[in-house]
Amino acid sequence: MSRKPLFSVMMVLVLALVVGAVLPTAAQEKVTITWFVGLGTGTNSEQIAIQEQVVADFNASQSEIELVLNIAASNETSRDTLSTLLAAGTPPDIVGPVGVAGSNSFADQWADVQPLVDAAGFDLSVFDPALVELYRNADGTLGGLPFAVYPAVTYYNTDLFDEAGLEYPPAEFGAPYVLDGEEVPWNYDTVAEIAKILTVDANGNDATSPDFDPAAIEQFGVNFQWARIRLIWTNLQPSSYYDAATNTINVPDEWRAASQWYWDRIWVDNTAPNATYAASEVLQPSAFASGNLGISIVPLWYTCCLDSSVGNFNWNIAPVPASFDGEQNVAMDADTFRIVDASPNKDAAFVVLQYLVNDAAPTLATAYGAFPALPAAQDAWVESISTRYPLDINWSVAGASLAYANPGPLHHETNVPNYTQAYDREFSLLSLIESDSGATIDLNAEIDLFEADVQAIVGAPTE
Amino acid sequence: MASITQPRISPAVNTSPFYSAQLRKFAVKAMVTMLALLVAIAYLLPFGNMALISIKSADQISGSTDNNILPLSPQLYEYEGESYEVYNIPQADGTVAQWALVDKGRQSSGFIDPANPEAGLIEWQGSWRTLESVYVYDPHPENFAEAWDLINFPRLFFNTLFIAVVGMIGTLLSSICVAYAFARFPIPGKNVMFLILIGTIILPSQVTLIPTYAFFASIGWTGTWLPLIVPHFFANAYNVFLLRQFFMTLPRELDEAAMIDGAGPFRVLMAIIIPQSWPAIISVGLFHFIFAWNDYFGPLIYLLGKPDLVPQATSIMAMVLPLLIFVLAQKIFMRGVVVTGVDK
Amino acid sequence: MSAADQSRAAPASSKAQITERRRSDLARQQRIWGWIFLSPWLIGFTIFTAVPIFVSLIFTFMEFSLSSDAAPRFIGLDNWIKLFNDPVAINALGVTFRFALIAVPVGIILPLAMAALLNSKHLVGKILWRPLYYLPYMVPAISSIFIWQAFLNGQTGWLNRVLRGIGIQEPPNWFQNESTILFAFLLMGVWGIGNSMLTMLATMQGVPTELYEAAEVDGAGAFTKFRSITLPMISPVIFYNLVLSVIGIMQYFVVPYVITRGTGNPNNSAYFFNMHLYKTSFTFFDMGYGSTQAWFIFIIALVLTVVLFGTSRRWVYYASGE
Repeated sequence: MSRKPLFSVMMVLVLALVVGAVLPTAAQEKVTITWFVGLGTGTNSEQIAIQEQVVADFNASQSEIELVLNIAASNETSRDTLSTLLAAGTPPDIVGPVGVAGSNSFADQWADVQPLVDAAGFDLSVFDPALVELYRNADGTLGGLPFAVYPAVTYYNTDLFDEAGLEYPPAEFGAPYVLDGEEVPWNYDTVAEIAKILTVDANGNDATSPDFDPAAIEQFGVNFQWARIRLIWTNLQPSSYYDAATNTINVPDEWRAASQWYWDRIWVDNTAPNATYAASEVLQPSAFASGNLGISIVPLWYTCCLDSSVGNFNWNIAPVPASFDGEQNVAMDADTFRIVDASPNKDAAFVVLQYLVNDAAPTLATAYGAFPALPAAQDAWVESISTRYPLDINWSVAGASLAYANPGPLHHETNVPNYTQAYDREFSLLSLIESDSGATIDLNAEIDLFEADVQAIVGAPTE
Repeated sequence: MASITQPRISPAVNTSPFYSAQLRKFAVKAMVTMLALLVAIAYLLPFGNMALISIKSADQISGSTDNNILPLSPQLYEYEGESYEVYNIPQADGTVAQWALVDKGRQSSGFIDPANPEAGLIEWQGSWRTLESVYVYDPHPENFAEAWDLINFPRLFFNTLFIAVVGMIGTLLSSICVAYAFARFPIPGKNVMFLILIGTIILPSQVTLIPTYAFFASIGWTGTWLPLIVPHFFANAYNVFLLRQFFMTLPRELDEAAMIDGAGPFRVLMAIIIPQSWPAIISVGLFHFIFAWNDYFGPLIYLLGKPDLVPQATSIMAMVLPLLIFVLAQKIFMRGVVVTGVDK
Repeated sequence: MSAADQSRAAPASSKAQITERRRSDLARQQRIWGWIFLSPWLIGFTIFTAVPIFVSLIFTFMEFSLSSDAAPRFIGLDNWIKLFNDPVAINALGVTFRFALIAVPVGIILPLAMAALLNSKHLVGKILWRPLYYLPYMVPAISSIFIWQAFLNGQTGWLNRVLRGIGIQEPPNWFQNESTILFAFLLMGVWGIGNSMLTMLATMQGVPTELYEAAEVDGAGAFTKFRSITLPMISPVIFYNLVLSVIGIMQYFVVPYVITRGTGNPNNSAYFFNMHLYKTSFTFFDMGYGSTQAWFIFIIALVLTVVLFGTSRRWVYYASGE
């Protein structure tokens, strides 16, 4: 028998082994802590460089822990990657920056950091107590330490206000708006009014004109950029649709009214873009950044994406309008780093966590474009964001908003059982309202349907 | 070309003069080539669309609904340190003036005549939105340079090339052997095994991802190139299937003749099967190369935390290498045909 | 097999006995060689593939959520019962089949026609056309989605500019319209058809030229030659492409997922089965139910494949016999 085919098979095996041997294999004595980045921001190349520097600085600062950075290639695939790591029994130790919603997807996987805080004697009072409570779970456990906050603010295009001859929104909480020379409260009724004047068609007629052509709009009044429906609802009136005690879903009347308010702007006044307009060239790369939108009510992280404004149009930020009940309330997104419960080295991970939210906070928050929860780091943020947007923007609104933050139970991303499925259902309700078929729906019936579906998702009510 | 056969002149054609046959031949050539050209244009249109977008700036892409096909920008005029867009304004005497819009308003707007800025603001009644902008051609080829800079090209190139080439060698060696076994040998249970082989590509890979990852993690291969390379040395169902189908188009006479001359199965493979199969083998090699070159998720998950090892070719510019290889492979492709054509 | 039967019924003649023994020796040797050549796949299958596939089958009988740290729990056939009562899954299967019904025939006929065109002896400049036709296949999937989103853009896409140019007043908003979105996917698929075309072309070029010459002597025209020589001779590769395109469409996922941003909208008209499977597994993290869906579509595709293999006896011609 010829040995040639056997020989070739063996060659193949040998080659495979050689390839294996050439590749690096790690051997370490220090405790290795892996830091997974990608569920939120942190994956672009400049951020990667800064995070690598933070890791290098940390590793140089002590000799017990070897910090390793794991960066998922993109936001879209990061959830798959993390879930694979967790399911395969090879979890990272620290995950972040991650928002409330991103954390909910992995709700059971996070460690309670309260015992770690106690053991390390970490002083939580360096943060605003309200912000710490944002991470406190219903059972008293603590999900993370405050790192970055993004209060909702009113972005407005000053050029468009000038062209329309409108006054700017108020610069401070509680101040009135001046419409046609009269003082009116800065609330959503006022926003609806001025949005009509800011919505203009190709012939230059605005939405108050009888000649206005809804099929040829070139400039819109208002939107909630990239918001999910719970954020829109919470902006208009903080409330909750989930009762944890009874496991029941009940969309409150004020949220039905909020849905109606938004639907009216899209389909009655034509002052908020529907899905087709939102996808059209008029509103690219995003509605406000295109320069063709008067007002956008969005959390502060929208500074991520307004680079196209520099040199093209002027904008500013103002406090959010008062809610339906006339009170000032601010919905707030919040990012943090979380420790994975399955990590075998939670103590070491907490050492890293302290470093990230304290020593590295000014550097990292700036890199992420995040408003730091640590008061000492906030000035550095204002300085850096002012360099990026040399537009004389009223950044003090950001700090002032923190005092009006919605408490934990009224947060727009409060966890519910099977969160991602409920999230998906919320998404489809909003898509329906904004899509072409949204014009003819029975809104209340759709919300009833939504209620029933989400109830089925969270499971049967208890007593 | 392989078939250099003279067209046979049928009796009907024979009655016409000789140049008419030549003409007909030319007409057929022209028609076929024209068809090929039309298909090529249809195939290239999406690229053309992308190419023009790629030299537009963000502003040119967003613009308004009457978007221009070419990268045009509104003409700007500098006035007191700020730039303003220039518009065509119809005049009472029927001419069109080109003025810069300095002060936008709803009922009337203020313009500056660039020819005579000293005259100051000209008040114009009407909505400026009904006016047409003056456009100038303004491409942004620097977009390419910026995109290029975003990729660490040498590292990407080496990583991808290494993974793709080693994997290609592996899959060719192993898939040829396995396809040969399926095509030519009387193995008991062959049909069932072949169905299992096909079955491995039918099961959606999403559900085997986690067990596969767990396996590679348990043997310490994550963070290395091994999961991206080694499995290819154990044959791949797509390639085995294609090669087996191709081998089965080859008549057995040549194999049998060689065996009567005392050739063993290995020699038959090397001397008879492979020389007749170059087009298929090159296709398989190309497919694997393109697969590995464009593989996105595999490196993503197995090389997490090892940025130095990651081959990432999601950019359209990364197509340059596969294209080059294809153009070069064409020559071998043609040679393969000549070999089969002449040998028989 | 037949050799073994014959050796059992060995005739008395010793000379014949020797030939018979030699023949059965040869058959045994051939079998051994077959196993040797098969071994790379057998080893690879055992090590890399068999276990994950088996584990995923086990998942179908488990409650296994990636988002909770609870250990997987055996729940019998619950996932399977859930699947047959899941209206979303049934609708997604319908979308997949509707698409397959047009995409599979187009995915075979068009590359065949293009390969025939490229193989035509009348074609001038083959060296130029081949890479041009093949080019789109080399575009990474994500890039090709960007290209087509631009090309099919309702207002500024070149396709609609061309359509408006030839007098169609309101060309559709391809990806936003329920009645056009599948057609848009079909166009994208047709664009990336280079690999099927190439395999067919490669096989066409292997067809012995004497066959055509002999047919020409008999006065056969171009069409007859294509139908009675080219088609049968390349039928094994047509079969290959047919099987792969059926499997490919059962797994169709990336394009609709990215373009509809995971929603399958408008009105779920682009919600393919594998999107449901992906969302269940990696958005909702329900790995048990996701695996059940995967095995369900696996069984459907496997049955289709077996049926295709059954019919192949009638229309696929293997020059090597069998």
